[in-house]
Amino acid sequence: MNGITIAWLLLPLLAAFLAALLPVIGRFAVLVTCLGTGAMALAAQQSWLPASLQLLGPLGITIQPDVLAAPFLLLNALVCAAVLLDGWGRPSREAWPLLLLVLHGSVNSAIVAADLISIYVALEVVGIAAFLLLVLGGGRRQVWLGLRLMLVSNTVMLLFLIGCALLYLEQHSFALAAVGQSGGLVLALLAVALLTKAEVFVAGLWLPRTNAEGPLEVSALLSGTVVSAGVVPLLRISAEAVSLLPVLRWLGIASAAAGVLLALLEPDLRRLLAWSTLAQMGLVVILPAVGGLYALGHGLAKAALFLLARHIPDPALAGWRQRPLAPRLWWPLMLASLSIAGLPPLLGFLAKEQLSSQLPGAAGWLVAALGAGTVAVYARIWGPPLATLSTPAGSPHGIAHADAGATPAAATGATVLVGALVLLSASPWVLPLWTAMDPQELAGAMLKSASVFAAGLMLHRLLHASASAPVSAPVPAPAWRPQLEGLDELLGAIVMLAAVLLALLGWQA
Amino acid sequence: MTAFRLLELLVLIAVLAGLVGLLRHRNLFLKVLAMDVTSTAVISLFVLIAARDGLITPILHGDTPVVDPQAALAYADPIPQAVILTAIVIGFSVQALLLLATTLLASRDPTLDVAELDEPEAAGPRAGQP
Repeated sequence: MNGITIAWLLLPLLAAFLAALLPVIGRFAVLVTCLGTGAMALAAQQSWLPASLQLLGPLGITIQPDVLAAPFLLLNALVCAAVLLDGWGRPSREAWPLLLLVLHGSVNSAIVAADLISIYVALEVVGIAAFLLLVLGGGRRQVWLGLRLMLVSNTVMLLFLIGCALLYLEQHSFALAAVGQSGGLVLALLAVALLTKAEVFVAGLWLPRTNAEGPLEVSALLSGTVVSAGVVPLLRISAEAVSLLPVLRWLGIASAAAGVLLALLEPDLRRLLAWSTLAQMGLVVILPAVGGLYALGHGLAKAALFLLARHIPDPALAGWRQRPLAPRLWWPLMLASLSIAGLPPLLGFLAKEQLSSQLPGAAGWLVAALGAGTVAVYARIWGPPLATLSTPAGSPHGIAHADAGATPAAATGATVLVGALVLLSASPWVLPLWTAMDPQELAGAMLKSASVFAAGLMLHRLLHASASAPVSAPVPAPAWRPQLEGLDELLGAIVMLAAVLLALLGWQA
Repeated sequence: MTAFRLLELLVLIAVLAGLVGLLRHRNLFLKVLAMDVTSTAVISLFVLIAARDGLITPILHGDTPVVDPQAALAYADPIPQAVILTAIVIGFSVQALLLLATTLLASRDPTLDVAELDEPEAAGPRAGQP
């Protein structure tokens, strides 16, 4: 099995080299590698693979294709394949499948890597691939967005390297196990880098602008898979370092609260989705045991929503209810957003239920309250009626409006992702979790979910009582909102986060 | 040990100088250069750690007495050096990409003022799109 694991890790990168020589095979190579990753995810979930694989001795490379990695691998495979399929009919640049291969391969490596240096290398490659995907074929705006992202990510990776160096000085090892015995400074430096990569709290503030103005397929990749490259190492480290857990929990909850609040105030669909990513990633890092499932449910749905947003010409949420959506957009949109909000039979519900039932005390209630906030956020995009049902056949105006500027091809990628989401909700993958709950528990969870939905919808009514009236001009952004997303603010926020983490962890140690 | 502490302090100052430059400069080019200062400081930190016990190249020859505690202590640690070599290559390529992107931006707006570069989308998020 070791040979297969290593071959699978190398496959995307070799395929990228081949695709550079023979551009014809690029797209098929992406599909093949995604299939391979899916198979590996299954194997990891079933523990068919060695849980830990050490190459070149104790100071060498450690790979852990374990149960923790499995949902993230599956997510990476599905999202990359869906993004590729979504753009299949459109002419794309020759470098696009190649970069997708590199991104896919490096995210795979980041997910299974279990020593700090391998994680560093994988994360840097992820950063470079994301930068190139963002910049590819774009104008000045996209170059600036990519440059911002790269500057921020490289700065935090330098902090990560300092953390590695100090860890080696203390423990003579780069293994994750050594992180547990290390001091607060090392933990703070490593955590701030990974939090930025995982788009949690203030460190994730680069996300909304990048997602709103960059190409949407790249946004789907960023929100779907690139975050998992930061989350998995973070979860692995928090499993080793006990002192990091409470800090991560409260940071996660703060991130979720801030994300929900900002999403509620946001007038733009794409930015709303991005703020919601910030909130959901906060919930992912709260509990390492549930993080994988939660990230899988969220990543699939969010990538689908971003791919759908490409077919929606006007991302302004003002007047959203007056614009009917075609059924091929409406159904995936509703299913994906309902899953994130946590509607019972869907994967999102299961993840939310696991999260709130395993969290102790006040944190569990806070998460439930944030769930209501999430419902209120997504209630904002449940407005548009289904075009074929609500508009008579005699007036195709509504459909034409919704489709203006969209490609005639169906939203393939989003359909694939939402299909996978629905299938997964009942698949053997999560079946043990369903059967583990006895009927009474299940009924309680349903009741809780229903009350969360009711509270969320009520909140939505309260906030947007006037939104049902037709609005012609877009609502101006509230003037009091501080400017959060400039490059200087981003860098300042990261330095401040590092200082706060240092104070918290140093104080605990 | 004191020499090690002193050098460590110098590295720390260099890291902080780079970070402060990164935060304070308004010019994008200078920001990228400030990041390079931090990057160089991190590299020197690794080199410093590698050399904390000794400077001799850690390669055994046929005639080297293998078990000689005195000599073993004076060897440099090869692990941080090997690691930082990877990081140098990565840092170099990232720097090159950043400078390339900066050049692209400079052809349109030679001032490279970060606040200005952040500006246009604040006026109208979708101004550039058809």
